[in-house]
Amino acid sequence: MKLKLDKKDFKPFLQTLMDEYDLFAPVQLAEGVSVFRKIDHPYEVDLSASNTQKPAKEIFFPQSETMFRYEKVGNENRMTSMEEVKRERILLGARPCDIEAISIVEKVFAGEECTDVYFLEKRKKTTIIGLGCNHPLSTCFCSSAGGDPFLRAGSDLFFIDLGEAYFVELLTEKGMIFHKNKFFKETNPKDLTLVKELEEKTFEKVGFSIPVDGIEKRLNLMAESSFWDRIHEKCIGCRICTYLCPTCHCFDIVDEGEHQRGQRVRNWDSCLSPLYSLETSGHNPRPTNRERTRQRIMHKFNYFPKNFDQVACVGCGRCILYCPVHFDIRQAIIWTSSKRPKRFGGGTI
Amino acid sequence: MKNPYLPIPMVVRKASVETTDRMLRTLELSFLNEEDAKAFRFIPGQFCELSILGKGEAPFGIASSPTENGSLKFTINKAGVVTTALHHLEEGTEIGIRGPLGNGYPIDLFKGKNILVIGGGFAFTTLRSLIVYLSHPENRSRVKDITVIYGARMPGLLLYKEELTQWEKRSDLKLVVTVDWGDKDWKGKVGLVPNVLEEVAPSSENTYAVICGPPIMIKFTFPKLMALRFPNERIYTSLEKRMKCGIGKCGRCNIGHLYVCKDGPVFSYAQLEKLPKDY
Amino acid sequence: MEERSKAIQDRIRDKTKELLSKKAVDLIIGFGEGSLPLRTTPIFIRSPEDVDRLIWNSFCENNLATYLHKFAQFKVGLVVKGCDARSTIALSLEKRFKPDQLFLIGVPCQRMVDRRKVKRAMKGEILRAYEQGDQIIVEGEDFKKALNRNDFLYPSCQVCPHRTPTQANILIGDPVDESPITETHPEIVEFEKKSPEERWRFFEKEASRCIRCYACREVCPMCYCNECFVDSSNPKWIDKGPSPSDLEFYHIVRAYHQTGRCSGCGACERACPMEIRLTYLTQKLNLDVRELYNFEIGIDADALPPLSTFEIDDKQEFIK
Repeated sequence: MKLKLDKKDFKPFLQTLMDEYDLFAPVQLAEGVSVFRKIDHPYEVDLSASNTQKPAKEIFFPQSETMFRYEKVGNENRMTSMEEVKRERILLGARPCDIEAISIVEKVFAGEECTDVYFLEKRKKTTIIGLGCNHPLSTCFCSSAGGDPFLRAGSDLFFIDLGEAYFVELLTEKGMIFHKNKFFKETNPKDLTLVKELEEKTFEKVGFSIPVDGIEKRLNLMAESSFWDRIHEKCIGCRICTYLCPTCHCFDIVDEGEHQRGQRVRNWDSCLSPLYSLETSGHNPRPTNRERTRQRIMHKFNYFPKNFDQVACVGCGRCILYCPVHFDIRQAIIWTSSKRPKRFGGGTI
Repeated sequence: MKNPYLPIPMVVRKASVETTDRMLRTLELSFLNEEDAKAFRFIPGQFCELSILGKGEAPFGIASSPTENGSLKFTINKAGVVTTALHHLEEGTEIGIRGPLGNGYPIDLFKGKNILVIGGGFAFTTLRSLIVYLSHPENRSRVKDITVIYGARMPGLLLYKEELTQWEKRSDLKLVVTVDWGDKDWKGKVGLVPNVLEEVAPSSENTYAVICGPPIMIKFTFPKLMALRFPNERIYTSLEKRMKCGIGKCGRCNIGHLYVCKDGPVFSYAQLEKLPKDY
Repeated sequence: MEERSKAIQDRIRDKTKELLSKKAVDLIIGFGEGSLPLRTTPIFIRSPEDVDRLIWNSFCENNLATYLHKFAQFKVGLVVKGCDARSTIALSLEKRFKPDQLFLIGVPCQRMVDRRKVKRAMKGEILRAYEQGDQIIVEGEDFKKALNRNDFLYPSCQVCPHRTPTQANILIGDPVDESPITETHPEIVEFEKKSPEERWRFFEKEASRCIRCYACREVCPMCYCNECFVDSSNPKWIDKGPSPSDLEFYHIVRAYHQTGRCSGCGACERACPMEIRLTYLTQKLNLDVRELYNFEIGIDADALPPLSTFEIDDKQEFIK
């Protein structure tokens, strides 16, 4: 179902959402820095950034999450699990790349025998309102990674900014519940033409130039290549790329508190940290940055596809924008393909 | 949805020191709740995450066999925060467990075959589970010959000493115990495990080998298995890797596209050949 | 500026070619072309044929001294600005490498351009940027603008009084006038006007954005502990999550661990993806060290950092 929402009605519309749901949307923390947060007032919502720093996966998989609290009562340990989600939620303003990434993470966390209840409870109770990308950045390569700036898949409702209004598409059953919202109006043919123009223009802008297709097979032959000796050189092993990556899902489990009372918490972790695979004996299967960089790239483009038939990269470009030493994953991908420059050195990997 | 991260309560029934250096301790645990005990079904080679609230969790191979009803046995090496806390547990204390996890030894493949078990040091825990299971009257006829070679650095560091003595008396399994260095009371074999294997020279025909031990032992024993013509598909090992969730979600223990906690910890060498040397 | 940069670039290439051909060094670490505008990237050259990849311009913002830990087993030729050279002196005082392991190619710094400030000044995405004379030309999809480079310098560059690398094996480029553009970091001026409560609220707000990525720690040449205090589990100093007290503790302690050792290069602030202002903390502590102990790291090659040594007449009036 195709509808329209005038921008002058946007804040009251948000209020109608907040009356019944917990609303999560981008919030600006400082100039140029935005993250997804729970909204307390409609004026907090800021959809102006091309993309947030921290990805939308945070809504389902928070950076730090209490799994359960425990308390020792006599000889007994009482545990209270924290997976319950009391109120239905809405995620508004996530870009198609982030939404696709959520379904990638869901593939890992779901499972017949063991399901990650914390992620799935939140996912079940969330309605996703996607937002199309009118202005993708030059670092975006979603189309090369199987997505596109207006991809509807994964969204329950989809908004496209038409200037004075948002074009609204209700896509799923969860989305159709909103068709009676008093702020939604009928569209007219001009709106639909504008949508089509925007889609074509941006699709062409993003292009298909990064050879993600077929990378799994190419990397099969490169497990012990000298490529890894060079590519890790400038990486300093901070964790920005993994923390800001919408598909990265590694976590650490720690106990906080003491013997009598406390909680078991899970925090984001990164395969680039030297402690990640360090065993108590002192042995570390990935002792240097070389092995860890290899693990990150192989996991995204070879191991994950082997298990789930999809690369674990949606082309959002955050790792390129925020890497302090300007490691460009696109160059690394190009370098695994026949497009690579003759000397390993001729690009800027 | 069942929450796989919540530990199930168990009680420490018995705690005993296994080795003379006091670094290895065996805990016998039993379930607090009847339903948990009934629901817990495992095969040798699987492991559990033992949980001490406030300290953390750590994975341990199950040393007891499914044929030993009543309690679960774990042998713990004191190395870090969690294992030190486990060493200080008194009988009657409650701890948590998550499991059974992992794939276990390929018992189905062992049907009608000879089994060669090679263990070194305190990696012998899940091998005990396998040996007790296979040599149990209900299961003994499923496999043919059972040969066990078990070595430790010194006599005091051997695990399950009383059981070893009993197994030596059995006629339906061949046990060779060896130590790197003997002491004045040691009357058994003295020799490194790879050399003892060469000496015993079991036939590789129709035989599956299961080998668990420290990396250095495996490094020198593996070529001896090759020399005895064991093919990679019939040599199995149990890998160790740093783990947290134990259920293939946290991403930590992967070797290539496989997770040691979920697709392992038991792997054949044929499988490991195709994976990166990330362990 | 553009001409100066080009001349320096050519000389860097000549010198490094010579060093590599004579095998005087195993490896050159310098700056190369980035794939994004306003950025360069660290590059690692091992062969004389590749020296043409080395560049020099007003976007060479990284402190390459941080790579000395990773490449400790090689003889390294390092391209350094004033602040980077001071970091290498600090590291050599702490015995992180042997003196003959390092060949410093020093460039008197022209002050680096703040790419985030440039980005904020433009409405759309900047697709191309280059230097022209003393200007930065930025181009986007529907704009082209000339910016005066002096309006867009990093604050740490504006206050820098030591832009000429000391102790360099070779200096490339004309000497520069060492007087800073502003005497004191503008944020420190603001900070010092605040009451203690206001100062705390300001710091609290900045630290609250922190995502514990540790980029500030990894880019810093002076952060090289095998086990950082945040990673220690026995004893456990702080938890790993983003609780406000843990975030504040991390930043305060890291700033204190840098006191007297920090060269003020600003790499920490540039690395932070959440744009937390970090340099005012480190700069303020450096100012305090200058005042209390008359010391600045990396000027005198033999003077040890005051917080690593004890003299009987050390000022201690802050102990009350």
